[in-house]
Amino acid sequence: MIRKTLRIKSELGLHARAAAKLVKLTSQFESDIKLSRLNVEEQVDAKSILGILLMAAAQGTEIEVMIDGKDEEVAMEAVVQLVNNRFGEEK
Amino acid sequence: MASEKTKPPNPATTVRELSQLSSQRLKLTLRGGEDGLDNPISSPRIQKLGLALAGYIDYLHEGRVQLVGRTEIHYLQTLSAADRKTAIKQIFARKLSCVVITSDLKAPPSLLRNCEENKVPLFKTKALSSIAITEISGFLEEQLALRTTIHGVLMEVYGLGLLLLGPSGIGKSECALDLILRGHRLVSDDMIVIRKFGSDRLMGSGPSDFRFHMELRGLGIVNIKELFGISVLSPKTIIDIAMDLVRWNPEEEYDRLGLDERQYTLMDVSVPLITMPVAPARNLATLVEVAVRLQMLKSQGYSPSGEFFKQLDARLKPPRSSSDEAWRL
Repeated sequence: MIRKTLRIKSELGLHARAAAKLVKLTSQFESDIKLSRLNVEEQVDAKSILGILLMAAAQGTEIEVMIDGKDEEVAMEAVVQLVNNRFGEEK
Repeated sequence: MASEKTKPPNPATTVRELSQLSSQRLKLTLRGGEDGLDNPISSPRIQKLGLALAGYIDYLHEGRVQLVGRTEIHYLQTLSAADRKTAIKQIFARKLSCVVITSDLKAPPSLLRNCEENKVPLFKTKALSSIAITEISGFLEEQLALRTTIHGVLMEVYGLGLLLLGPSGIGKSECALDLILRGHRLVSDDMIVIRKFGSDRLMGSGPSDFRFHMELRGLGIVNIKELFGISVLSPKTIIDIAMDLVRWNPEEEYDRLGLDERQYTLMDVSVPLITMPVAPARNLATLVEVAVRLQMLKSQGYSPSGEFFKQLDARLKPPRSSSDEAWRL
């Protein structure tokens, strides 16, 4: 199990399209991937778009990514990249 | 199995939370000690000040709501003014959470003064002590209950709480939709908040926002309330049975006889668990309905597969005579 804290940098926050991209990415991995707002106990499944949207993570929100499974390292790297790239939307 | 995360015992709630409790049967009005509104309450059990006023404060617990009823007020009235002051003062040797005066009784001035000085909120209510105790402890039980959130779908099927578990994309939401169309009720899709209810039950509900939404691959996010109306929704339910949806794996052995009894355990509470393989041509909603019907029979002490095997055993016994009934087809 590995965890990492990331900050949402994109202007619109973790909005619908971004969430869809994230789900598309996380679903490719076998590992169990969970997200939560930093210091909030409620976790959501990063493979469920509704769960991600429920977090309502606006720009500047810090989220914790928890990955557990065989491909956790690769999965974490991919998630970090997508989030830090602002979901590939903005310049 | 969906992973879970259990929060350590809730440290406490605060008097401020309690002050917002306003039900039909109980309304609390703050009379003093406002500075103590952030005092913690750590136990759902209520204490009556009773003997503590007579000087026996050994069992006066910090972190509990203290009740003052007719007995206490009348006892204080029998004391001289000086004794009354001492009686009231001594209970503040403990750090009290808050004090509630019931039956619309008048607060003795020295109690109010001590509450102000010691930052202990003082409430008044018109309700009788018995009602105040039930209402307040019910409220605190819920506030102080162990809580966890899990990923899954919670439905009410034939009045029983059914928890559908399984990995994302296995068809939990589709199964729930099928069940809704058959007249069953949705509690929450995706994120479920589960509270330990008493010592042996689990109460599930949805998150406060967006809970009547559902994501269906190919259709996107739909609002179940708009599509099907209020009658297919249920705000919360006790969880009676859990079903884990798994991808059909030819290597795996699934329960073929219905004799295995497995349990899903969360926060030390167990409910019967069924592992259900998902494959084409297996209509999940039908299987769920049957599983719940079986559970209803079992909870009444009847096991259909047990009955079948009892009959089979009788037939497998060697015949005592050729006219043995078990051998007649």
